[in-house]
Amino acid sequence: MTDLLTDHLLSWMIATPFLGIVALAFVRDREWMYRTALVASLLDVVFAIVLWAGFDFANPGMQFVDRTSQLPTFHIQYAVGVDGISILLVLLTVLLCPMCIVGSWRSIPTRPKAFLRLILFVEGAMLLVFSALDLFLFFMVWETITIPTYFLIMLWGGPGRFAAGLKFVLYNLTGGLLLLIAILGLYLEGGQTFDMLALAGQSYSSSTQIWFFAAFFLALAIKLPLPPFHSWIPEAYAEAPAAGSALLTGILLKMGGYGLLRFCLSMFPDAAATFAPIIIWWAVLSILYAGALALAQSDLKTLIAYSSISHMGFVILGVFVFNSQGLQGAILQMFNHGVTMGGLFLAVGQLYDRTHSRAIRDYGGLHLTMPRFTALWLLFVIASFGLPGTSTFVGEFLVLVGAADDHLAVVLPAMGGVVLAAVYMIWMVQRVVLGQPQTAAASRLQDAGLREMVTLVPLAVLVFWVGLYPAPWMAMTEASVTQLIQHLTGDPVLATLQTVPQP
Amino acid sequence: MSLYALIPLLPLAAFLLLALGGRQWGETSHRVAIPAIWLPFGFSIGALVEVATHGPISISLYKFMQSGSLVVELGLYLDSLTVLLLLLVTGVSGIVQVYSARYMIGDPHHSRFFALMALFTFSMIMLVMSRNLLLLYIVWEIMGLCSYLLIAHWGERKAACRAATQAFLMNAVADVGLGFGVILTFVTFGTLEIPDILARAGEMSGQTINLLGWAGLNWPIQTVTLIALSVFVGAVGKSAQLPFHVWLPSAMEAPTPISALIHAATMVNAGPFLLVRLSPLVVLSPVAMTIIAIIGGVTALYAGVVSLTQTDIKKILAYSTMSQLGFMVMACGLGAFAAAIFHLLAHGCLKGFLFLSTGNTLYTARAHEPQTLPPPLGEGRGEGSPPRSLCIGALTLACIPPCVIFAGPYEQLWTVLPVASASLAFWVVGLSTVFVTAMAVVRGVLMFFQHGPTVDSPAGAPVRVHPRVFSPFHLLLVVSGVVVASGLLMLVWTWFAQFLAPALAPPGATLAATDAAPPAAISWGLSVWILVPLGVAVCGWGVAYARHLNPGWGAPGPSEWSRRLYVFFLNKAYFEVVYDMYIVEPVLRATRWLWQTVDRGGIDRSITCVGGAFIVAGQWLARVVDVRNLDRVPGGAEVPAIGRGRWLRRGIELCGFGTLVEPDPQMTEDTARMARAISPQTIQHHVLVMIFWLIIAVGLFYWFAP
Repeated sequence: MTDLLTDHLLSWMIATPFLGIVALAFVRDREWMYRTALVASLLDVVFAIVLWAGFDFANPGMQFVDRTSQLPTFHIQYAVGVDGISILLVLLTVLLCPMCIVGSWRSIPTRPKAFLRLILFVEGAMLLVFSALDLFLFFMVWETITIPTYFLIMLWGGPGRFAAGLKFVLYNLTGGLLLLIAILGLYLEGGQTFDMLALAGQSYSSSTQIWFFAAFFLALAIKLPLPPFHSWIPEAYAEAPAAGSALLTGILLKMGGYGLLRFCLSMFPDAAATFAPIIIWWAVLSILYAGALALAQSDLKTLIAYSSISHMGFVILGVFVFNSQGLQGAILQMFNHGVTMGGLFLAVGQLYDRTHSRAIRDYGGLHLTMPRFTALWLLFVIASFGLPGTSTFVGEFLVLVGAADDHLAVVLPAMGGVVLAAVYMIWMVQRVVLGQPQTAAASRLQDAGLREMVTLVPLAVLVFWVGLYPAPWMAMTEASVTQLIQHLTGDPVLATLQTVPQP
Repeated sequence: MSLYALIPLLPLAAFLLLALGGRQWGETSHRVAIPAIWLPFGFSIGALVEVATHGPISISLYKFMQSGSLVVELGLYLDSLTVLLLLLVTGVSGIVQVYSARYMIGDPHHSRFFALMALFTFSMIMLVMSRNLLLLYIVWEIMGLCSYLLIAHWGERKAACRAATQAFLMNAVADVGLGFGVILTFVTFGTLEIPDILARAGEMSGQTINLLGWAGLNWPIQTVTLIALSVFVGAVGKSAQLPFHVWLPSAMEAPTPISALIHAATMVNAGPFLLVRLSPLVVLSPVAMTIIAIIGGVTALYAGVVSLTQTDIKKILAYSTMSQLGFMVMACGLGAFAAAIFHLLAHGCLKGFLFLSTGNTLYTARAHEPQTLPPPLGEGRGEGSPPRSLCIGALTLACIPPCVIFAGPYEQLWTVLPVASASLAFWVVGLSTVFVTAMAVVRGVLMFFQHGPTVDSPAGAPVRVHPRVFSPFHLLLVVSGVVVASGLLMLVWTWFAQFLAPALAPPGATLAATDAAPPAAISWGLSVWILVPLGVAVCGWGVAYARHLNPGWGAPGPSEWSRRLYVFFLNKAYFEVVYDMYIVEPVLRATRWLWQTVDRGGIDRSITCVGGAFIVAGQWLARVVDVRNLDRVPGGAEVPAIGRGRWLRRGIELCGFGTLVEPDPQMTEDTARMARAISPQTIQHHVLVMIFWLIIAVGLFYWFAP
């Protein structure tokens, strides 16, 4: 029994949310539905802790690998594993989902069962995306995630959900189409296999690399998103229910950054080096552009959405500076981004539950009525613009140090993006938290209750833990990133990618 | 030895206890905070003794992170500079805490106030003790956050919110400089440990850097200059130098103990401290030194003149702080680092004293805000005795610049610049600032107590106060006292400069080898020159006093020119207005335009237009192929309410060509019907269809597979 569990730990982790979906079928009472879903997601947290404890920091290759052949004819297989690049994202997924479930305990008026099923579905599918070692499996799940997210927006979203949902689907399908073409091309080019490790181990001619890189990059740029492919984000985030927004920004966006590391860098290093100078400036422009747009927002959720786009610019910047500070910073930044943005969206959800308004002008004076909430809100706000001492600072600092190595000129404008973030966030705090309540509703708000504190406090603890003692978190990514850099700089130790014996 | 790690940790522990323990401490929060500040004061004395006898102490805390060549080990470093500042920070902060325990009685956020004060003190302690530039930057920013939260302590007031936001953002902009400096330092030196950087600073003096390389231009800058200037930008923000000074006067919205803390112990002192801490690096760049000196001098003069025109006692004090800080920065720019620290310590003690006295007065007057000079008098008169402490403090403040700056390090100031005209310029600026400061402070105090009330006080006709301190005899006594004191100060200075010298020289360098080493003894012949600034200061008092006795005295007549000048400085040279009009407003307008026109109107619309074109094409195709027949379920009934054509049309209207902003009622209704239509039953239907096709697809796979 223990063998079954430990040998297939990752598979169990992926399966647990789906088992939770099945278990939900036997529950009728609303409270018990939430409890069932929570148990499933907490079980995953336990698995994640076991995974973390068993993870070998010094091993740069894939660990906890689990393989079975699915469609041998087409060389499609079920293969999962984690390495230093994906482990933080797997942990993030597992951590954020219980928070989303607890956070939406009271805020879903209709069809709670369907809602919980979709959340669990997203969790399981995301785990599969981050751990898939088979390109076809990866693509299937990548596309599948669009469906539950679409329904999360459409069934429990705000008044503009129809347009938002439609735009979300169209954008992501377009990206998915590009990805599909690229993956099929890679299958033919790379010797008829979907095995990601095998594909990464091969070298492609530079003209091939450029085409594949472009296709992958555009597909990922939509997900990341990189302006001008970002216009689905503000609407989708604003209209989705709080838990949906938290999942979207916390986990789904990371698919883009993860894909950049896993495909664009690992498989096409030459093309990546060719395009890097353009992409670095593109990323900096994205930081500034989205930051400036956030300054113009009057809606809390679109403001956070634009700030989220702006911060993802740092991830892209870090990925394309090709040194260990940049890459480790980018991975850490994805994790931090998920925690802080997830926290912010969940917190906005708590406000929305009370007033059913997302407009900044409808609040004010929260520090008088909701001191506990204000403290946590401020904490996530300062974390989101990377105040030193919080987790985001560590990520941004690493990315900037990495960028300074070869591209010193981009450091100043990128830091300008941090200032912009401080400006729109602190201005928002001034209008929402300080001053006098602007509406009658805002003056009668209840402070955050126990359940709401439980939602936010663990995330807050993470913010400080990573912010004040990032060493253990960075140790997780170090070996894999070092190996990736050796790969990028043309070191012929590609074979080490396949150190894990195949069963 | 590692006992000294408790110096920052105790205030941190107090903060955590108060922040997490929340309200159960209530009105007794200060019982946690006060010992947590005073114990470190005791430790600081111990550290002073140990550093004086055994040299610098270095304590490692923990390994922060490691990434490639970037290894960050957090640690504390105590040298003579650190221990002197530690005494100031913990001492003044401790006094302020004791003071606030009474001052803040009745405040609903008692525990929050003390928690934040403890954090504020912690970050300043950490700042001066930090061995690592990254740690320094972290606490530098945390200090900014603390000041933000404390200025916004009375957050329900609009002015307080505005001031807090302004302070934070102005510092955030300036901190880009410091952050950039830290990154650049790492890129240049490959380490962030301050002692290592300073030890190796000399090697880097010839290195240049080309910032515009990416654009194909060649514009080499000396790396050291760039680092020094970047760091200085951060210092300008925290120390409220021109042009980042606007936040400091506004920050007077904070409760008065906080003002005392900001002005005396924490925050503004960080700027000169940073320059002195990195002095072996900064002195390598003559360009940076000149810029630092000029900015310091201009700020000193500007703030002095502005403080002459203000009518709010706390604003006068704020501008006088700015002016004094300008002095310190100027001293740094001239290479007189020991003088800057000497001035900093003296000013810190006195400003703290002055603010607390002001707080007393205002408390007595029961008028926290605004502290416009005339009204508190009317009300405050009947309440208690005229607080003489304020008068004494003010007079002492008026003589700090002459006594401190020009007494000890006079020779350094005089001889440091090779170009005589330049040093003459700094002398002129310095002396005029001494004059103006002296005048402003005396004027402020005299007005505070002796100005006739301009509004009717509720207590009836107010009585004029006439503190005896201000009789000419007393004034003379004070002046002679000051002269004697300055002689004593010079003796202290000799010891002080020797004590501080190791901290200012690059580690490892011998004292004799550095030019910046201060003279071992004061040459009495030259120090007669001290009488010049002192005389100027006394002239300043005299003018202020004379004008007070006889308002028309010495005035150049109500000419248009002088009126305009007065209005100009009364409005603080319109810095705030210009920032609002030419930076804040245009930026906000530009971002709105960017959002409405470029993002929504341009990018979003063009992309949805592409989508819309596909939809139109799809509709055309649907007409041709007649999808309707294909869309019938086997039973023959059309899927209710959600015909494909309808779905597409909605899509076009909402997403493509229709307006996104204003949904019309019909559309909302349709959307609602749509949402109803996607009920679980329909989903099940779709899922069934999907599974059906999947089975067929998988079958086909195996059929065609070899």
